[in-house]
Amino acid sequence: MNENLFTSFTTPTMMGLPIVVLIIMFPSILFPSPSRLINNRLVSLQQWLVQLTSKQMLAIHSHKGQTWALMLMSLILFIGSTNLLGLLPHSFTPTTQLSMNLGMAIPLWAGTVVTGFRYKTKASLAHFLPQGTPIPLIPMLVIIETISLFIQPVALAVRLTANITAGHLFMHLIGGAALALTNISASIALITFIILILLTILEFTVALIQAYVFTLLVSLYLHDNT
Amino acid sequence: MLQSLFKNVWVPMKPYYTQVYQEIWVGMELMGFIVYKIGNDYKRNKALKTLSPALACGHH
Repeated sequence: MNENLFTSFTTPTMMGLPIVVLIIMFPSILFPSPSRLINNRLVSLQQWLVQLTSKQMLAIHSHKGQTWALMLMSLILFIGSTNLLGLLPHSFTPTTQLSMNLGMAIPLWAGTVVTGFRYKTKASLAHFLPQGTPIPLIPMLVIIETISLFIQPVALAVRLTANITAGHLFMHLIGGAALALTNISASIALITFIILILLTILEFTVALIQAYVFTLLVSLYLHDNT
Repeated sequence: MLQSLFKNVWVPMKPYYTQVYQEIWVGMELMGFIVYKIGNDYKRNKALKTLSPALACGHH
């Protein structure tokens, strides 16, 4: 049992050395590269999943946007696998760290914005003012649109961090409560345990959904700018 | 090892790193700048905090 609720979120060390980089690189081992024309079942299943996701995600993009296919697919696979691996007991989830999520969100968002200003400068500047705005409201709306633009990477990162951290904390709390209640009342402990199982199922879906939402939003920002 | 890294990583990824991801490199520079600023400000505030009690003691 951890000393307090937040020890599972501290960056892990082994014999004094930080191993967080190894933990971040670990999910890549779980995705074998296809090396033959017709692969084994696992690799074929992986290829089918990646093809399904990439077709759905890249259907809306222009030719320029589709050059980001590798980046978007890597992003969804990385975040999804990292979140799912974090549901193993006593494991460390890199996506609970705001620094890591900002490290993913800021370069990708800035990449989309710079792409927009580079290839479609007028259209990118036009995004700061919605169509049909009354003239007296223009200055205020430009300020609001600028703020909403700069909030996008922060929102991306904080959304992922908060969802995953809150889920893990909640599971920790409910698990602790179920354990404490076994000595007090078996029936209430059983109800708490059922709640814990339902919460775990919810966390599996949240892990996948948050990966999809992060990637979809980056894809939408790219679509707006290409 | 470097040769295999070059053959397996750099050669297939070269068009991405050199052309497709140019804007993402700019974003990474921006992120590096933000990290540097935050780290620098943290060190400066920490140094000021350790200095100011010492200065306060000296003025008694």
